[in-house]
Amino acid sequence: MSEPAGRVLYLHLQLLDRQVVDPDGEPVCKVDDLELDLDDEGRPYVTAILIGPRALGPRLGGRIGRWVTAIAARLSEKEAETSATQRLDFGLVTEIDSAITVSRPVDELDVRPLERWVDDHVIARIPGSRHASE
Amino acid sequence: MRASELIGRDVIDRAGCPIGVVTDLRCVQDGPLRGGTATPRLDALLVSPRHTGAMLGYHRPAQHGPWLIRVIVERLHRRARLVPWSAVVAHDPQILLDVTADTLRPLHQ
Repeated sequence: MSEPAGRVLYLHLQLLDRQVVDPDGEPVCKVDDLELDLDDEGRPYVTAILIGPRALGPRLGGRIGRWVTAIAARLSEKEAETSATQRLDFGLVTEIDSAITVSRPVDELDVRPLERWVDDHVIARIPGSRHASE
Repeated sequence: MRASELIGRDVIDRAGCPIGVVTDLRCVQDGPLRGGTATPRLDALLVSPRHTGAMLGYHRPAQHGPWLIRVIVERLHRRARLVPWSAVVAHDPQILLDVTADTLRPLHQ
């Protein structure tokens, strides 16, 4: 079987676990999995980058994978977050190279729920964390 | 469906013989447009009898050296094959093909 015309990508080698960056080069997330859908011909195509422990857990499999998924669900604040996997629509991707560049700044992408949880539940309880001197 | 659900899945040919597991998914960026960019569309499955998926990129024609590592990797994966997606008739829970293994050309030839 020959190499097809058009840009060829090996998903495992060139997309999974790659760093995603915003237009300014700021790290956004890692590619934990990829969502596929079937086109009219029945061929799968990539629709979204899946991120976070609920995407990574099933990929790891076994007991560790179940723990990762369960802990992520436990740390979720909103009920909707417990079942939904975070995703970045593939339409946001502008470049695929050693890193994957997306078109929107990291601040506009809600991709850091764990950091937000730690900020609200751990850091916020440390005396002085709210800039009390100001 | 997720990419990880296909990677690692057993592949069975038309005669019912297992020919290996999916170690990578070869896509061509010619899928439906999303945000002005063509999405990667699955073209073929890289199937190897060895569960170790680390071919270190030597399944790509552009990857040549270092030659010693290439020789070792090609030797380990000498029975790896590219299976066109058009040959897949079912993909859950196993990938079933409508061709026999002897019609699939080995990847390294």
